[in-house]
Amino acid sequence: MVGLPYDCLANPLGAVRSTFDKAMSSDSSAAALDGKDWGAAEVFRQFLFDDGGLSQVPWLSSSTMKWVQPNTLVRFRGMIQDMLGNEFYVGAYKDGDKWITNKFADGSHGPSDASSDVRIWERRLLYCTPVPGQNSWVECAPDAMRNPYISAMSPLREKRQREDEATESDADMVEPGHAIEDSPNPKKMREDGVAFEPFNLQKVVTEGSTSNSSTPPVERNSVSCLVKIYDSPESDLKLNEVFEFVGIFTFDPDLTVPIDDKEVMDDFCEDELLCLPPSKVPRLHCVVHRKLGPSDLVSSPHLELTTPVIKEIREALIGHLTAVLGGDRLPAEYILLHLLSRHNDYNVQVHARVDEVAVGKLSLNLTCFNKENMSVFGNNLKLVIGSLMPFTECLPLTVDYLNSVTLAPKKDYNTNRLVSGLLQLAEGSHLTIDETPLQSGTLNSGGLENAQVLRSMMESQKVHYDFTYYKMEMPADVQFLILSEGKSNILPADLVLPFHPSSVDPASGVDGEMLKAWRWYLATMKSLPHSIDPPLQKAVEDDLVAARQADRSLSREDFSRWLTMGRLMSVSFGATSLSMEHWQMVKELERLRKNRFQGNL
Amino acid sequence: MELRFDDFRSKVGVDGLHQTTRTMMATYETNYNKWCLEIAKDFLTNFVDANGESKYIDILQDVANRKTKVVQIELEDLVNYKDLDEEFLRRVTENTRRYIGIFADAIDELLPEPTEVLPDDEDDVFMTQRVVEGNDSAGASDPQKKMPPEIKRFYEVYVKASPKGRPFTIREVKASNIGQLVRISGIVTRCSDVKPLMQVAVYTCEECGFEIYQEVTARVFMPLFDCVSEQCKTNHAKGKLIPQLRASKFLKFQEAKIQELAEHVPKGHIPRSMTIHFRGELTRKVSPGDVVELSGIFLPIPYVGFRAMRAGLIADTYLEAMSVTHFKKKYEDYDLRGEEEEQIARLAEDGDIYNKLSRSLAPEIFGHEDIKKALLLLLVGAPHRKLKDGMKIRGDLHLCLMGDPGVAKSQLLKHIINVAPRGVYTTGKGSSGVGLTAAVQKDPVTNEMVLEGGALVLADMGICAIDEFDKMEESDRTAIHEVMEQQTVSIAKAGITTSLNARTAVLAAANPAWGRYDLRRSPAENINLPPALLSRFDLLWLILDRADMDTDLEMARHVLHVHQAKESPDLGFTPLEPSLLRAYISAARKLSPTVPRELEEYIASAYSSIRQEEAKSNAPHTYTTIRTLLSILRISAALARLRFSNDVAQSDVDEALRLMQMSKFSLYSDDRQRSGLDAISDIYSILRDEAARANKTDVSYAHALNWISRKGYSEAQLKECLEEYAALNVWQIHPNTFDIRFIDA
Repeated sequence: MVGLPYDCLANPLGAVRSTFDKAMSSDSSAAALDGKDWGAAEVFRQFLFDDGGLSQVPWLSSSTMKWVQPNTLVRFRGMIQDMLGNEFYVGAYKDGDKWITNKFADGSHGPSDASSDVRIWERRLLYCTPVPGQNSWVECAPDAMRNPYISAMSPLREKRQREDEATESDADMVEPGHAIEDSPNPKKMREDGVAFEPFNLQKVVTEGSTSNSSTPPVERNSVSCLVKIYDSPESDLKLNEVFEFVGIFTFDPDLTVPIDDKEVMDDFCEDELLCLPPSKVPRLHCVVHRKLGPSDLVSSPHLELTTPVIKEIREALIGHLTAVLGGDRLPAEYILLHLLSRHNDYNVQVHARVDEVAVGKLSLNLTCFNKENMSVFGNNLKLVIGSLMPFTECLPLTVDYLNSVTLAPKKDYNTNRLVSGLLQLAEGSHLTIDETPLQSGTLNSGGLENAQVLRSMMESQKVHYDFTYYKMEMPADVQFLILSEGKSNILPADLVLPFHPSSVDPASGVDGEMLKAWRWYLATMKSLPHSIDPPLQKAVEDDLVAARQADRSLSREDFSRWLTMGRLMSVSFGATSLSMEHWQMVKELERLRKNRFQGNL
Repeated sequence: MELRFDDFRSKVGVDGLHQTTRTMMATYETNYNKWCLEIAKDFLTNFVDANGESKYIDILQDVANRKTKVVQIELEDLVNYKDLDEEFLRRVTENTRRYIGIFADAIDELLPEPTEVLPDDEDDVFMTQRVVEGNDSAGASDPQKKMPPEIKRFYEVYVKASPKGRPFTIREVKASNIGQLVRISGIVTRCSDVKPLMQVAVYTCEECGFEIYQEVTARVFMPLFDCVSEQCKTNHAKGKLIPQLRASKFLKFQEAKIQELAEHVPKGHIPRSMTIHFRGELTRKVSPGDVVELSGIFLPIPYVGFRAMRAGLIADTYLEAMSVTHFKKKYEDYDLRGEEEEQIARLAEDGDIYNKLSRSLAPEIFGHEDIKKALLLLLVGAPHRKLKDGMKIRGDLHLCLMGDPGVAKSQLLKHIINVAPRGVYTTGKGSSGVGLTAAVQKDPVTNEMVLEGGALVLADMGICAIDEFDKMEESDRTAIHEVMEQQTVSIAKAGITTSLNARTAVLAAANPAWGRYDLRRSPAENINLPPALLSRFDLLWLILDRADMDTDLEMARHVLHVHQAKESPDLGFTPLEPSLLRAYISAARKLSPTVPRELEEYIASAYSSIRQEEAKSNAPHTYTTIRTLLSILRISAALARLRFSNDVAQSDVDEALRLMQMSKFSLYSDDRQRSGLDAISDIYSILRDEAARANKTDVSYAHALNWISRKGYSEAQLKECLEEYAALNVWQIHPNTFDIRFIDA
């Protein structure tokens, strides 16, 4: 294709229409194009990937939204929070003798003559929000980096910020014209320094309690967006998956809708878009979409993928974790395995659910935390995890909290929307549950339900979404880390490990390159394939039987856990199959853990 | 050309056509309409159903006699019609709304005179008056003065989609289905109130006094203000129109939303919903929470007014309901589909159906064959009996699974609930204030006392699975006594005294008294349920987790396999689909087998021998009561049902006895070890005793097998025993039939 007669970036609709005209000239029936692509996607794909146009496409964020022109190409990254079903639109109509298409547009131009021939096509509506718990280091809008944020902050400012947050969450939608300058990113703050940590806990509480609105608490630099999907199979895009969309942006902040209350009340079948007016929520007509795996979210440090390098990184990371945990190495080893665990594979369905047993997950319960050491080690640990994993959330478990929040998403039939709960998390999120503030008290029915939801999510990696008339199981892939004083009985984790810090040295600073390498290491190792060779399989089998003969209390879950740990152990060394050495390491770890337990009693 | 015009007209509406084309098409349309009308009339007059009756003529007569208001044209009848025009049928499905109008026109012409004397009501008075006026009015050609046919009709026409094939799920309805008749299934989530919808607006003119009619096809319409009659036009009078509400025709109108069923939603997706419009007689048929199958026309509504501006060229869609069918979930209402019937017939011919069905229950749970057989019998149940004096004997089987933690009891329970068409799963402790039985509660809105059924009442005519039976509240446990034998829940609280039906089969799971089964203690101590409750269970199963190298290895292999292949190991057979299982069971439940006279003696002797054995033993494992005898009969009847037989056979009774024995097998095997008897010698003594009792020296192989299987031994063990003792010359074995002849010493 030589010399495109249109500019894909600034006038994508021109490209759409010219390809449409071309297709129509060769085959003159619009009916033949029902639900099909006529080559427009191909043109965009060539422009974006082959001609390197992708880097020119601006990211959609609240700051860029002010200057991005409607009907131009933008990029957007978000999690699919809700699916609003199909939208039927006049896809093509005949104006005189010429067919005109409305695809990829919010077309307000109708056929001039009401009698002309029209084709009704459909497109899918997805409501995408910023990924919950996304850490600020995750590469997104490059100009987000330019955001000035205040490094020193008075308590007054902090308070004001919290108020802001509360009002904003209530407002349901991210205001397009919201001034970002005076609202330092809470997540950034967390990375910023230990000094403000005491505030963090409170912050999380406020964040949680105001999160009843349909958008989860988000970074305010990002926006929610209504993405319209054309011609792609339904199975491509699933709920809670993180996607990068490239599409045509339409947004009309001037079109204010005088909502007539009476009309809304009377009108029973109000469309779901009513609460997402085009003046508040931008639309994106998607031309290309791409699912993001863990390694798409981190930048590669350009390192050779050799075993010594991996081992070196692993050693450094464990060293860092040990320092953070006050010189306790055993939990550091376990945390590493825990961070590498995953329930679903990103490309192939590797660790599927079998017999109601979630295979591959490794939830960890660190005990012996109390209020004093929690403020030091617990928060440091949360910080470190936040700097390593792309999506992290913290949840302080208190009776009041459990009684007041809604954890599982719920369908609101009045607005026909899925009201997000705190547990609507993207694949591969990390959830830290802090049980130390838990006091004795009475759970009400909501609290009980929340506890059950948490438990079933941890045990079977499924969240039951409440659809009033039935519950729907949604698969999840979330790593659980529980910090508690004693063994958590509300949330029985796969592994319970007492934590014994020896020193209170503050963790030494880590340079950015090192962090990058660690992130890359975790993301890459996580998705390595794994197998057990037949000879070793036999050895493992014998080991398991012998262990059970020696100790009758060993259950299927214990076996399963050991095998999972075996996989994670070898993966952490970059190996794709289990070796005897790694298996022995797992057994040794388990022995140490058991000893510690007995010592503790 | 013909076809295109037809489709096009319905989708776009004729209003916007150019004047020239309109006239051209109008002539054409008239001809075409006539053709369709003739076909419709022909069908309505000449259709004869399977019973040889003119179905639609009968309906029309009922309509004329004002007995019914609905004319439902079944597409299935159109398909079966002898002079079927394929083209016509296709058009009816693809452009249903238009053809409903054609059918209505045909009915107008065909409608017979009423055969009964009808009292004149208000509408008729209006009608008579209109006819009189219509005759002397001059401007009959005036379209807005001509009486629209709708105002005269006192019936509604619906076209019902063919019930064959699978209904669509909501997400399968695409843009290409617009205008077509579709059949979908879903759950009703919201319902509006029933409101009047104007169908024909009637006005009278102040000046000329004519009645002016305005047909309303959309939800919103613009009322007329100025008179359009010839008289007013020529006089330039601009007569003011006054709406006549009593003369106008209104329809009942209701809107609802349905949502996809959970099982139709692909993994990782959100259920879709759809708006449904109900008109006329179809209103008030659904309420939120109903699972329904609807047939209807999928139609777009263009936005009007301000919303059109906002929405651009987006069309909202809805389904104009044509028929509503509620899904019934009781076995009694289970309609077999054609292919299912065939499959069941094929299964029934297969001799091994008992094993096949039981293996298909919870196929992913390894082993436990006999428990699964018992669960299958629980699903099938025995017929209820009602004696002349009003006494009822329950047919539901109650089953209690007791065992060590981690032996997949709960999974079995949950699976059974999934297979059963009506099942409630609850835990002894987890049930709310309503508990298992029923409670009187104060309604927070009306402050009235209301009776709220608990799990057992909700599971009426189904299965109630109660996990953690041993940890149940004492009050509930007492109430369960009544449910399990009388199958009712009586309540006398807060001035309400009543008795609710709870005809449910109870499937309980419990842990032994100390969490794990303690072999050093007696079974009674371990079981820890009062005898009164225990005797109500037809079968009590003890599942023990024993230290055993083989099972450990099996478990290790299974876990390894799961981690390696990320899937369950191959089952070695293909389990039957739950839907087929359900269909088979529902077919089996239709029978009520009886015990033939010649078997009575056999059962009686079997029962008495159990009683005697228990009397002899110093530490009885069971409490054999007359209930045990009823249990034997129930289990046998359930087995006969599975064979699709109306008579209980001896083999059924033997299998029933065997199951009762197997349920406590693990305990007995312990006993035997203690008493020093091995299996072989035990079998010998059984055979010897039985032969002595019958006072015979010959024992047929089949009998021998029956006796020993009742005691929980296998055929292989019997063979071994036969060989061993034949070598000792205790008995002779027939080389072909394996019949036994004792050699008297």
